[in-house]
Amino acid sequence: MVLDIFIVAAAVVGFYVAWNIGANDAANSMATSYGSRALTLKQIVVLASILEFCGAAFFGKKVTHTVAKGIVPIELLDHHLVVFGALAALLSAGFWITISTYYHLPISTTHSIVGAMLGFGLAAVSQNHLTLDQIKWNVLAKVVLSWIISPLLGAAIAFVVFMLIRFILLNRFASESIEHVFRYLQVLTASYMAFAHGSNDVANATGPIAAIMGYSGEVPFWVLFFGGLGIAIGIATWGYRVIETVGKQITELTYTRGFSAEFATATTVLAASSIGMPVSTTHTLVGSVIGVGLAGGLASVNLKIVQKIIFSWIVTVPVAAAMTISLYTLMVVFV
Amino acid sequence: MKFFRSVGEVFGYSPFQSLAQHARMCGRAVGLLQQQFEALRKENFDEVEELREEIDELEHHADQIKEEIRGNVTKSLMLPVDRHDLLEFLKVQDDIINNCEHVGHMVTFRKVKVPEDVWDEFSVLLSKLMEVVNHYEEMVESIRQLIETSFSKREVQRALEYVPVIEQLEHECDLIQIGLHAKLFNLEEANPLDVHLMVTWVAHLGYVANAAARASDRFRIMVLGR
Repeated sequence: MVLDIFIVAAAVVGFYVAWNIGANDAANSMATSYGSRALTLKQIVVLASILEFCGAAFFGKKVTHTVAKGIVPIELLDHHLVVFGALAALLSAGFWITISTYYHLPISTTHSIVGAMLGFGLAAVSQNHLTLDQIKWNVLAKVVLSWIISPLLGAAIAFVVFMLIRFILLNRFASESIEHVFRYLQVLTASYMAFAHGSNDVANATGPIAAIMGYSGEVPFWVLFFGGLGIAIGIATWGYRVIETVGKQITELTYTRGFSAEFATATTVLAASSIGMPVSTTHTLVGSVIGVGLAGGLASVNLKIVQKIIFSWIVTVPVAAAMTISLYTLMVVFV
Repeated sequence: MKFFRSVGEVFGYSPFQSLAQHARMCGRAVGLLQQQFEALRKENFDEVEELREEIDELEHHADQIKEEIRGNVTKSLMLPVDRHDLLEFLKVQDDIINNCEHVGHMVTFRKVKVPEDVWDEFSVLLSKLMEVVNHYEEMVESIRQLIETSFSKREVQRALEYVPVIEQLEHECDLIQIGLHAKLFNLEEANPLDVHLMVTWVAHLGYVANAAARASDRFRIMVLGR
């Protein structure tokens, strides 16, 4: 009976995390399309909600699996410990994202949840439910590596795509007509982006929930459905405001630039989803924009954000892990 | 609306619009000078004084824009042109309006008595100067196209076509100045103080043209030196 309350609590917090992903991360990814005025706000909200949901529901299972079972071998733990751990992880990630959102810090939800799950694993080790080498360090190493590779890959793809546009098109044709064509192409990349984002970031909410379900084989569809729904609601209830605010900051991203950055980000993130790596879409997008800048496509890129992102990597994982360890220990001791 | 995390920070401060605005102010200052000389000729000294104030204000505003650009173009910005080239270009462009301000003041120092044909020469010089800055403004304005096309070869070529034109016009200004100097030094009837002051005007009007030519050269260095 007590355990049921914890499961319900996990569902609620998981829904909050999904909502937050929709309200902030998804909105950030879609703001590029609004900044370039390729779509109206309403069109973006509808498009993003549908495609984020589709990405999450139909393509989100691999990353969810990695977050649920990839780092902590939950099948070796008692079910009630898994419930405590997953709830603690969701609470810390949710709390940490809320704080960083309030202070406008470029924190990644992905990094928070991975740090939190690691904290859960370490807490289980400290209480002798697991041994240290049972934590899947090799998977964790791959995940961390994917965090470094994804912005770099985004930058590289965006650089190449924009260079091609530059030398094949901008050098030959009038820029107005090219931009006009790319206005329509950017609708496609915006959709691609929403789909890719949904497929990857949904795991931040559904990973711990799937862990609680203790599934075997594939992640149950309804968990992904639940996560996708949370993201879509997040976009519709709050994300549109974020899209508007952030979109106004990035007006200099014209259609060709927006296309290049979105294509690069979506391709990188979708590739990560297909191999089950939870990466940060926002950080990949930042990398892609820098790639467009390196190709001479932007009037000005602020490289200070790179420092901020690296700083957020260093802080987020230990903070989320430490919070999870505390919460988990409290639950185990008092319940 | 406080609750959000933004990817927008990746876009830094862009100095190019402000650069073009600063160039437009230089053009406007020369236009005011032209009006000032017309007022001077008509001995409409109140208007001369008003125009001096207007030029002063314009120069002050231009200085603020210059400071804004200098204060924001930091090393952590990735710009499509070299940062030092950009700042050097701005510095020389600022000389255009600075010299306008000097002339604007100098014409109020003394009520000179001058024959009509000298005023005619001045008005020829100022028209030529106006032509220089008009071309100059258009050239700087083209930076918007340059950025939009990521410095496509065609746009770079189109923008740089202004440079030799401006240099040619500046040379024509030089010739008018020489003629004017010769005329001034041979005004047998004139008060030597009047002559001295007018010679200084001519020299400083020359500096305005010179600054525009040098700034267009710095513009070329900036555009090509990417």
